Amino acid sequence: MKRLAWAIWLLALLAAPVAVLAAADGTAIPDVSKGASLYKQFCSHCHGINMVNPGNSSFDLRKFPQDQKDRFVHSVTKGKGNMPAWGDILLPDELENLWLYVVTRGGKEPPPEGTLGQDGQPGSDKKASLETIEEGRLTACLPSNGGALSRRRYQGGAGLDYVLSEALAARLGLTLEVVWYESEPEEESDPVRETYALLSKPVCDIVPDHPLYESNIGAPPADRAAPPRWSTMPQFWTQAMQVDLVPVAATRPYRRAELGIVVGPKAANRTIGKLSDLAGLTVGVQQGTLGGVILTTQLPSDIKANSIMLPPGPQFLWRMEEGRFDATLIDTGAFDNHKVQNRITKLRLTDYRHPIGFNMGIAYRESARALGARLDAALKALLDDGTVEKMAEDTGVTWSPPRDPVVARALTTSDLFSMR
Amino acid sequence: MDFKALAASAALSVVLCTGAFAQSAEDLKMDASTPGDILTYGMGQGQQRFSPLDQINRDTVKRLVPVWNYSLNDSRGQETFPLVKDGVMYVTTHNSTAAIDAHTGKQIWKTMVEYPAETPRVACCGIVNRGAALYEGKLFRTTLDANVVALDAATGKEVWKTNSIDFKTGYSMTVAPLIADGVLIVGVSGGEYGVRGYIEGYNPENGERLWRTYTIPEPGQPGSETWPKDSDAWKNGGGPAWLTGTFDPELDTVYWGVGNAGPWNASVRPGDNLYTGSMLALNPKTGEIKWHYQFTPNDPFDYDGTNELVMADMDGKKVVMQANRNGFFYVIDRTNGKLLAANKFVDRVDWAEKIDLETGKPVQTQLAADARSGKQVEYWPSAFGGKNWSPMSYNPDMKTAFANTLNIGMNYKAVEPQYRAGVFYFGADFSWAWPEGDRGYLRAIDPMTGATKWKNGTAIPRLAGVLSTGGGLVFTGQMTGEFEAFNSETGDRLWQFQTGSGIVGQPVTWEMDGQQYVTVASGVGAVYALFSGDERLANIPAGGSIWTFKLMGE
Repeated sequence: MKRLAWAIWLLALLAAPVAVLAAADGTAIPDVSKGASLYKQFCSHCHGINMVNPGNSSFDLRKFPQDQKDRFVHSVTKGKGNMPAWGDILLPDELENLWLYVVTRGGKEPPPEGTLGQDGQPGSDKKASLETIEEGRLTACLPSNGGALSRRRYQGGAGLDYVLSEALAARLGLTLEVVWYESEPEEESDPVRETYALLSKPVCDIVPDHPLYESNIGAPPADRAAPPRWSTMPQFWTQAMQVDLVPVAATRPYRRAELGIVVGPKAANRTIGKLSDLAGLTVGVQQGTLGGVILTTQLPSDIKANSIMLPPGPQFLWRMEEGRFDATLIDTGAFDNHKVQNRITKLRLTDYRHPIGFNMGIAYRESARALGARLDAALKALLDDGTVEKMAEDTGVTWSPPRDPVVARALTTSDLFSMR
Repeated sequence: MDFKALAASAALSVVLCTGAFAQSAEDLKMDASTPGDILTYGMGQGQQRFSPLDQINRDTVKRLVPVWNYSLNDSRGQETFPLVKDGVMYVTTHNSTAAIDAHTGKQIWKTMVEYPAETPRVACCGIVNRGAALYEGKLFRTTLDANVVALDAATGKEVWKTNSIDFKTGYSMTVAPLIADGVLIVGVSGGEYGVRGYIEGYNPENGERLWRTYTIPEPGQPGSETWPKDSDAWKNGGGPAWLTGTFDPELDTVYWGVGNAGPWNASVRPGDNLYTGSMLALNPKTGEIKWHYQFTPNDPFDYDGTNELVMADMDGKKVVMQANRNGFFYVIDRTNGKLLAANKFVDRVDWAEKIDLETGKPVQTQLAADARSGKQVEYWPSAFGGKNWSPMSYNPDMKTAFANTLNIGMNYKAVEPQYRAGVFYFGADFSWAWPEGDRGYLRAIDPMTGATKWKNGTAIPRLAGVLSTGGGLVFTGQMTGEFEAFNSETGDRLWQFQTGSGIVGQPVTWEMDGQQYVTVASGVGAVYALFSGDERLANIPAGGSIWTFKLMGE
């Protein structure tokens, strides 16, 4: 949940006196209950509930050889016989969870030793050229769980930053290589340092979705930092390992991240132009996020009296679907992600935007000046002919054009209190 | 003979000269009263699945023996409805269509169906096909990847093929087409995948699409007020139409059932959600909705209204009846959609106390409200329904319906639905609640009261179609392989035969050269087999075939 990480990090920037809550969901560790639920969603209609498939017209997964994980991965992702291929739909960690479900016979037996694989990345590209960035390739680091901006699939990916990286690579005459990394909203994680570390290692050439603040570009914020887990991470690498940070530069911005008011059905016909227009509604405050802080500090007292505090995370907006509250101020990207997951929604993003916003550009190593110049020119062309806006529409990203200043000095507490 | 009569007889001879395979609209209309052939899904446009044939009867059935078996060379569930015309039988599987010599069981032709390897992703409840339609020398069928196909009935050669929709977002087709007023009508599957359901009419001559009627109105259309405003819920609201409708040529009206609303979690789509869980009365030429009746408003239970809509004349009234998944047996005036009777036909129905005959609306229980609000509930009947798709039979002489009913409950909790195109979109956690004893009963039901005249229970429920005959018999089959005949008055089982695989097919009977035959497809699979986790079925071999029976000499 990179988005949440940003929101929390921005709070740290403000040094606002708000408790930062961790909401790590530990996706990297295979989980048999997740496997069971995935099995029900993807496999049960052919292989049977609980893997009981009367008549044996599909493979009896209860008898799948526990020492043949590669065969399992291959059949699931590529298809076999009557079985369709699922590689373009399943996420890598979902495949891990499914395998755990199968290899434990539905969670009834412990997994035999050595059956889970070494690195938890079955079938991931294990080529050795991790230390250098390859000739003829543009390597982009994208968060594997970045919602409408980037989502990893077993084969390829989706989201605005994914398709934008593809288009940039094509314009530069390069082949796109994507390295996926796991950004967790943990207390100690800092997206800026992660970006510096990924570029410094170097794991990749570019990291999109970089907020353009003076403190986020140029000289590194520290001497050393640890990169987040990435998809081609060598086996010897541990998360404690740090890299020497190098200076980072960024292209022009290609979108603006903003905070908007989302309302439920009770406010279906209401025009929202300012926070006081929320009168009479139950307002949900997502703790530990910038939107939550703004609501806490700016809501008129009568509305605040009728507000409820909820923990941060993707469940927040679902609580709103359930009718727990009627309105909130939230990163429009979080709402985009909710819509990607929830095709049917009663929620609506109003036209209101808080004046605080962040221009987002693409980070690259400052030393790669020629690459940076070409990236910037390609991005300008894609912005000028409306391609970026179209891509955002196609990928479900609420797009706003960047605003001046291109690079902001810093976020100050007074920004929080600016009202429109 | 005056000029008019001359012209009429000339026109008639033209029809007769189009060859032995020609089936006119008149033939289709008369199907139920011409036991020498089976031209329509359900043995007549009213789908009574009743034959007056009585050579095989309570006395003679003990001499019933197989005369041939035809291998379908396929391990999926076999739900095909066999058609018979001029000594040729037509059957379908998900991947083939075949013509068989009805006398010998020998194959005349077989035409394969090719579909992309990804297609089975979007088949919720079995890789199946339910049969074909015959009209004017052509055989029509649908395919899993949502194509409508016409074959030359004589050769099996493809005449045309029209794609209905891209299957990848969750649409598929398993339905046997219906011919009504010269229009080929089909409906789409996909209620568990966030689709927007529809029914379509095609020109049987060339495959041109004549109309498409969505089962969910778009904003501004009548019925759209039953969906939440300022929401896209209607776009993914379900309402599949995956079973064949019935046709009344006198009223020029097609009756078609509409399936469950999607996702199952009803809290995301407050309102009645027309026309999910409903039946539609359609103009076959235009697809225009004449009227509708909704069985299950704002359905959180997967109570499809797709079950067969059987036509009958009852106490001088033209009615259409349905044993709905939701546990009520409905009798509706088919001239105007007015509800005449709605009574529980299974032992436990939790979601509604009764159906108000005045308003036509269910009087729902607290449990239904709890299910919608996200509470953990146990409800009966389960999503399998009081009766699943397996079609019932109606004996008009006995005024009795014979149906395979289910006795299964469900543990259910609505949760956040997570959309991913082409993947299950439930929005509910669920598991089955099993009864102490039998999970299913073959029941003889009085349509007007829902009362059971007799029942025959089985540990593993039956999900085969039912056939009744003038010989006082009821035919059906078990998923453990037995093809069975019952005394229609008492429910006593008079005869059975082990077919080698489980039966989820649709028995039919027909006559040739003075001999009565009974035919059924064997081949275990489909919804219960896949979703129940019933380990007792694990030793039932897969493998589809067609069995045909007749009486041996005394």
